[in-house]
Amino acid sequence: MLITLEETIELINSGKALHIAADDSLLSKLPKGNWIGGTTPYFIAEEGGITTKDKLFVSVIDYAEEVRIASYGKYNVFQIVEECYDNGLTMIILPYGSDVAAKYGKDAPEVEELLMHPTIGWISGMDLESSDAAKVYDGTTGEAYTDKAVVLYIKLPDDKAALINIINIFKDDKNDPVIKFSDNDLGVKKCTINGEEFNFAQYIKDKGIDAGMPLVADYNGSYINTSIKEVGEDRVDFYAPVFKDIEYRFAVKINDYASEFRDKVNQAGDKNPVFSCNCILNYLNCSLEGEKILPYVGPVTFGEIAYQLLNQTLVYCEIL
Amino acid sequence: MKDIVREKMVKILSGELIYTSSNLALNMLITKMQKKVLDDPSNMDACMEEIEQFAAKSPIIAKVDFSNIAKL
Repeated sequence: MLITLEETIELINSGKALHIAADDSLLSKLPKGNWIGGTTPYFIAEEGGITTKDKLFVSVIDYAEEVRIASYGKYNVFQIVEECYDNGLTMIILPYGSDVAAKYGKDAPEVEELLMHPTIGWISGMDLESSDAAKVYDGTTGEAYTDKAVVLYIKLPDDKAALINIINIFKDDKNDPVIKFSDNDLGVKKCTINGEEFNFAQYIKDKGIDAGMPLVADYNGSYINTSIKEVGEDRVDFYAPVFKDIEYRFAVKINDYASEFRDKVNQAGDKNPVFSCNCILNYLNCSLEGEKILPYVGPVTFGEIAYQLLNQTLVYCEIL
Repeated sequence: MKDIVREKMVKILSGELIYTSSNLALNMLITKMQKKVLDDPSNMDACMEEIEQFAAKSPIIAKVDFSNIAKL
């Protein structure tokens, strides 16, 4: 729910466990308490998509048996796998452009047992018109970080389970060429296309490919996007890493983003998410400002975490 | 894991059967295990163990998938 600073302070002081997304000017005014936060001025609220620095998006974690809060740097972020509850949900926020976010993006798919522990979260960001730094907050200490991840561990009752899922408007065309990379990386020069080596930047230019379309990998029917940040002279940089030996194809061109997005939300059926977040690129490309996407309300983010780092995806969690 | 589910899961990991879950984590895990089995078929037992471990960690969710897999 999108609420005022005063209402948020009241919730914190009542001792409730909270996840908070807001502009830094508001997060920095919050008292210490049982909360984690990340910066963004973009939200999908119950009333519709909105850009605001006057309100905070607060999720009350009222389904937990207990919670713990911790922060991690790039060298120990994957301790989340050991420190989480056995039956729980791990909520993580990482600052955009930080080493810890890059480390998480690159290594998460290889981390043993990560998929055994429901892990959801997002990359905090900033007003795109500003030069502000992306931050995360550990409410228990009141500390803000630009180089650490904050984590809220949620313990669930034994008869409940967390189910994380995604809504992705992009898919591939299996007749398109298969693109593969030789390493897990946020930037590449070389790739193979149907087994033949190419300079990826040159290939994109030669084929006139719209680099606004993400690369899509088919994970057993779940489509995972990797968005292109920049096509340089001989190098391509991504918002999330590409992975060795995963088969990628460029997403099929979408003519009407907003209607495609709405269709996918309808196809997902009746859901009751306790948390969701949606990508800034969906917010902009699908013109979601003012648009209602119930029940998927939450922060608009600079990367989404559903176990691993995703791009251009709506991520949500249900408690079953 | 029941024998029938185990038998079908071995076929899923070796690519002989296709099953898409509504659980993102299981789809990601199947992809990861399929890669390991493709790299070296002797990894099958270890991969099946990981699938068993996954199911043990989230029995409420795995129950639905295993019931669907048994019907394949």
